Amino acid sequence: MIGSLTSTDHKRIALNLGLMSLFYFVLGGCFALMIRTQLAVPGGTFLSDQKYNEIFTMHGSTMIYLFVTPMSLALALYLVPLQIGARAVAAPRVALTGFWMWIFGGLIMQSGWLSTGGPGQDGWFSYAPLSSGTYTPGWGMDMWVLGVDLAALGMILIAVSVALTIARHRAPGMTTLRMPVFTWTALVSVLMVIAAFPMLVVVMSLLFIDRHGAHIFVNFQGSVDYQNLFWFFGHPVVYVMFFPYLGCAAEAVAANAHKRWFGYMAFVLSMMSFSVLSVSVWGHHMFVTGGVTNQYFAFTSTLLIVPAGIEYFDLIGTLLGGAIVMRTAMLFALGFFVQFLIGGASGIWTASPVLDYHAYGSYFVVAHFHYTLFAGSVFGFFAGVYHWFPKVTGARLREGLGKVHFVLLLIGTNATFFPQLILGYDGMPRRIANYPTHPGWQLLNDISSVGAGIIAVGVAVFLANLVVSLRRREAAGDDPWEGQTLEWWTTSPPPRFNFERPLPPITSYAPLLDLRERAAELAERAQEAQPRGAEV
Amino acid sequence: MPRAPPREKRLSPFALVNNRGIYSWLFSFYAPIGIGVVVLYTLIIVVAVLVYRRRKVPNRVHEAHRLELSYVVVLICMATGLLYLTYTAEHKVDDAQAYERPALSIDVTGARWEWLFHYPRYRITNESGAVGRQPLVVPVNEPIAFHISSDDVIHSFWIPEIRFKRDAMPHHTETVDLTFSRRGTFSGSCAEFCGLLHADMVFTVHVLSDSAFRTWAASGGKAAPWRTAS
Ligand code: HEM
Ligand SMILES: [Cu+2]
Ligand SMILES: [Cu+2]
Repeated sequence: MIGSLTSTDHKRIALNLGLMSLFYFVLGGCFALMIRTQLAVPGGTFLSDQKYNEIFTMHGSTMIYLFVTPMSLALALYLVPLQIGARAVAAPRVALTGFWMWIFGGLIMQSGWLSTGGPGQDGWFSYAPLSSGTYTPGWGMDMWVLGVDLAALGMILIAVSVALTIARHRAPGMTTLRMPVFTWTALVSVLMVIAAFPMLVVVMSLLFIDRHGAHIFVNFQGSVDYQNLFWFFGHPVVYVMFFPYLGCAAEAVAANAHKRWFGYMAFVLSMMSFSVLSVSVWGHHMFVTGGVTNQYFAFTSTLLIVPAGIEYFDLIGTLLGGAIVMRTAMLFALGFFVQFLIGGASGIWTASPVLDYHAYGSYFVVAHFHYTLFAGSVFGFFAGVYHWFPKVTGARLREGLGKVHFVLLLIGTNATFFPQLILGYDGMPRRIANYPTHPGWQLLNDISSVGAGIIAVGVAVFLANLVVSLRRREAAGDDPWEGQTLEWWTTSPPPRFNFERPLPPITSYAPLLDLRERAAELAERAQEAQPRGAEV
Repeated sequence: MPRAPPREKRLSPFALVNNRGIYSWLFSFYAPIGIGVVVLYTLIIVVAVLVYRRRKVPNRVHEAHRLELSYVVVLICMATGLLYLTYTAEHKVDDAQAYERPALSIDVTGARWEWLFHYPRYRITNESGAVGRQPLVVPVNEPIAFHISSDDVIHSFWIPEIRFKRDAMPHHTETVDLTFSRRGTFSGSCAEFCGLLHADMVFTVHVLSDSAFRTWAASGGKAAPWRTAS
């Protein structure tokens, strides 16, 4: 046990990080169910206003700082070294330290529940001056600030380790333009963590000082400054919460279509333009402040259509002409791409200031980011789980339970979040503990609450699937899906130093597919040569 | 070419910007395009999956540089088109002050957890808070200068009827010109989380005819013309 917690094996650290993140997913999900219970009726009394504010804040904060973002890094830390043929990560102790800082960050943030004033209660971005000592006194909120700070620092360290690994430990032949699709998505993510998270560390540290008498974020300029600084981190992080899951979905699609991912070069370029644009769009969160140049941020944000569009071109190119098998991983991957269309379209919508003047701060936005984070990233995450679970554990997940899980999640997600698009358009603000009786609102909220229940059942089926598949193991073998990348070359689970036999020649971003294709060609040629001779 | 945003016919000579109208104009482009894109791609993906589901041998095509490049050009054109529409609309909304000279101005102040509507010209102050639940009263089709500010934290002054909100920031006054184009009773709320009773920062908006508004103003805010006339 202790050995596992202090191991410098990247797989061990990543697994611990992933399991802890998964725990926070369930915890954040419980908070979500409490939100939806409260909002099932107008003027709900299930939670007091104070408790509601704590719950929605901790729901968002837990999901972002303690689940989706660290889970991205866990996937990267586990898979990247395997995909690039490395024996270990660079600077494993840095990654381990990062893991522990993140662990303490999370515990510190949640420890606010023990304070009488309650934990963080100002939303996941805790705008100043509301989050200052004047308006939100109490050590619970202090713990939120410190927790976020520490978690962010920890995640920077993990990202550094992954980035160094890619820089220094690629196997011979693994040029940057032969790195697998997932590795590329992980690389841009960790680079964005390194570029943007220090800003979060700075903001949270300043906020902490502000809360204890320094009064930094005061007046108009102070509150605009806070928002500028925060969103300079806050937008890039949404891509950290997106890219690796896109990578998961892309790898699952490629394997299940038995083709390599289409348009690799364009994909790599789109990743790069995504990350460049992503540090220039933060002001789209501030259209209604009157404190930023709206036209500029509308320009950069709308341009995101281009790299996003490329992803879909490549997806369709991969599907066309494929030999498609509909395994659970494939279902989740396709769910990711299709539902993300709604998240993306509503994102371009809010990138238009005039439309955002209405949408900002409403349930429209809540629907938008759940279509990206839940219907998108979480579906991509499950695609990744079903795809790589056999590699990590040596056992397969049950396909039957997996399909039940998928169908429940698909129905639940759309039932929960689609009505919120309409509610927001109809004028329902977000972050309200109660809504007035208003024609149509109760019905839409009820559909949303029932949907949340269906999601909960779906997640329970998934957890059951994990337990069943680990208890009564169906051995997976080393390469159950005709994998294309190096992690399928080694044993399941991989040994301490990842590869025991020599690596195959690395000729492209799908080296194992290259091997199979060449073997097929040779066999064909041999067949052509033989029967002719027999005829004569 | 897209038509210019419609102008409300009955607007007074000074009112040039109909907020709701401009939003609807932009909506009429963005909504069909957005829905169209979602439906189109979904269909392509579903059909591709159904068609290639039972294939035994995959093809090996994995690049189409020319096609992809032309597609990128199409995407850029699409972004350009959307931006053109957005800028056209935003120019109207944001620069209203440049060509309007509102006769009426209202100071709106957010304070935890109510709104104050102060009419300097008529010496009327209405409070939306739990005690009086007093409304915001405005004349129809007339540009109004709103001076929006906050006494404490950030609030956001949102009136869904005119599809507009603007943050109320501490120690700062934002001025926006807004025009209500329909008579009636609407609701407004706070759209920036401001602490404990954020949900209670709702208010009523009465949009009255010019004469009804004058009656209300002349009475020092005592009359309630919305009760009788409708
Ligand atoms: C079980 C599924 C989920 C349900 C039913 C759900 C529900 C909700 C609801 C109703 C709100 C709005 C609260 C309010 O504005 O008063 C909310 C906020 C939020 N949710 Fe979720 N959610 C779910 C999953 C997720 C996931 C997976 C993520 C992240 C990856 C997430 C991230 C957020 C964030 C960031 C907020 C904003 C919190 C804030 O306003 O500070 N949610 N969620
Ligand atoms: Cu953003
Ligand atoms: Cu508020």
